Amino acid sequence: MSDITLPRNNIKITTGALVCEDSKLRGDITIGKDTIVHPMATIIAESAPIIIGENCLIEEQAKIVYRVPFDRVEDKDNIPPLIIGSFNVFEVGCHVEAAKIGDSNVFESKCFVGNKVSVSNGCTIGAGCQLTNEQELKENIIVYGEKCQMREGLSKPLPQYSQMETLMKILPSYHHIKKPTQKTK
Amino acid sequence: MSAGFLDIDCVKYACTCGLLKTLQQLYFCRYCSELRCTFCVSHEVDSHFCGKCCENLPSAEARVKKNRCVNCFICPSCRQELSTRAASKQPANPEESKATKRTYYLSCLCCRWSSRDIGLPDQTAATGSWPKRESIHSNRIQEIVSMYKGLQEKEKLDKEFFKKKQKEKIISYTDKTGITAAALRKRIGLPEDKPILKPKNAVKIVTPSKADENIDDFDEEVLTKSINLLEITSIDQRLLQPDVQPKEISNIFPIQKILSIKRSLRCRRCEHNVSKPEYNPNSIKFKIQLFAYYHIPEVRIVTVEPLRAGQACELILKFTNPTQHQTTVSFLPFDSPIEVKEAIPEEGAISQEDSLEELDKSSLTPSKKKSSSGTKLMSLVDTHITLTTSRSSARALSPRSIAESINCTVDIPSSTFILPPRDDAAEYDDFNEVHNIQDDKKLVVWRKSNKAYIKLVVTPNEDMPIDTTVTTGFTMSHLYTNTIASVADNKKPQKFNHNMRVILKLGKSVGLN
Repeated sequence: MSDITLPRNNIKITTGALVCEDSKLRGDITIGKDTIVHPMATIIAESAPIIIGENCLIEEQAKIVYRVPFDRVEDKDNIPPLIIGSFNVFEVGCHVEAAKIGDSNVFESKCFVGNKVSVSNGCTIGAGCQLTNEQELKENIIVYGEKCQMREGLSKPLPQYSQMETLMKILPSYHHIKKPTQKTK
Repeated sequence: MSAGFLDIDCVKYACTCGLLKTLQQLYFCRYCSELRCTFCVSHEVDSHFCGKCCENLPSAEARVKKNRCVNCFICPSCRQELSTRAASKQPANPEESKATKRTYYLSCLCCRWSSRDIGLPDQTAATGSWPKRESIHSNRIQEIVSMYKGLQEKEKLDKEFFKKKQKEKIISYTDKTGITAAALRKRIGLPEDKPILKPKNAVKIVTPSKADENIDDFDEEVLTKSINLLEITSIDQRLLQPDVQPKEISNIFPIQKILSIKRSLRCRRCEHNVSKPEYNPNSIKFKIQLFAYYHIPEVRIVTVEPLRAGQACELILKFTNPTQHQTTVSFLPFDSPIEVKEAIPEEGAISQEDSLEELDKSSLTPSKKKSSSGTKLMSLVDTHITLTTSRSSARALSPRSIAESINCTVDIPSSTFILPPRDDAAEYDDFNEVHNIQDDKKLVVWRKSNKAYIKLVVTPNEDMPIDTTVTTGFTMSHLYTNTIASVADNKKPQKFNHNMRVILKLGKSVGLN
């Protein structure tokens, strides 16, 4: 890992997004409209850019790290960016290194998702679950419990509009906010 | 018992019954002045309650409801409690009624299972209206249960009939003297003896089930079709519903939550409670809690030198006195016999008197042990006999041997040390503590308030291989102050030495340096 030098910080924040000054953002990161990044959240684009979609919620102590995918160690220069879809929730203390993240996923508190996992849409990774093996989570998969049992959900987890609305109001009055750099397309 | 931060199993106390437990798992019966563990007390169910809604149910009602809560459900997928969620549903055509209808469904916050997953329609009421799934075997089971209940009743009646018949055969004195029993009954004014009837054979025998001759053909698809693990239930989920045992995940059904109990523990010897919770399910307090932790000095290992076979090494233990009375602790060899009660001579007379008084009391008040038949005089004698025999038998009851082999000897110090009473305010005392306790400097390393650090010398056995767990033990004798008698009779608190065995696991032995 020492031979990888972090690319220069290039943070692009779309108008409407709420990114707190106290969050730790490293590398080339694009944050979509209406996404909330709490203070003390960490996003590190180590190998390639991270593009975060709309209406995502990234809570305190959450860590999103994009390392070099395990199958692409050979050509480090040609790594595609990590595109995180919309309506994803990264709860307190989660650690996500997944190589692919779709829409409407929930990463519950203190869960760990390794870089060999690719997450599709509507998945829930339960609190404290550790996914490290190479696997692809199909749509609406719910991982729960000590032994990481899996089941298929009926529908996608609902977006938490009311929670996000409240945060949009409250966070700016107590934290410094990073200014948006890009206008909505 | 739960594993708390105090519940460290390197120091264990031998219960009176011989089992090894940590101090936190033991009870102390103040009336017998002995250690009791969960295996040597009788457990009694105090109350049934639901752990979720905290509803209290009388035991009869709980039995009728099959020990399950009516309103609370657990998740058939992950056993967590299901919570009721409200959803608003727009009516089909808006003109009919403008108000949105509230509907409710059950949802699990752990695995996100919901009652909608199995197609259960949403309910209009939050509680009570959830459909119950009847087992197809419930009628049959009911039939069989009632049959056996009938059989049991019949057997009982038959036995009584047989006994009465036996009685008839014996010629009583009254018969010999010419006064018949019937005549006597008439004279006394008792109703006439009913003729003994043979109980009717009224038990309805259930038709026994038969093994079916036709067995379904073996489904070869089981071998050929690939399994989708997301569609079939796990063993755990299947056995959670033993009456249905669903194979597919779509057939699981919310399960009524099983009731919890509050139980009180009772010493088997003296029938006093050692633990009794408060009746209210919301309360976590106890009415009676005679935990050993409040009565017996706590032993903790502070440091131990590297343990080498055959070499003496230093062990420092911390002793804490939890009681409000000063105590003196002395050490005895591990195998020294432990007497049930060791009264100090001057108090001996009192204790004997006590026991006599107790006997008198028990003979005056109707005792539980009194047999239902027999005259009152007989029962008096009976209680005397049962009491004395039960006492002697209880005393004679030898505890099982302690299942732990000692492979390390302790040099038992001849001197004793004093532990001052516990003082909650001592921690906040800024002044330097002055205590005029004359300590054996070889034994007591350091002391503070009700704690003392004791140095012992232990020697692991000669022939011990490297990396074996070194276990040592001694008998701790401490002066116990029993305040029960003083409260009841205004006497001086009884003091006596209470002995118990303590076993220490010191760690692994290491090689020679």
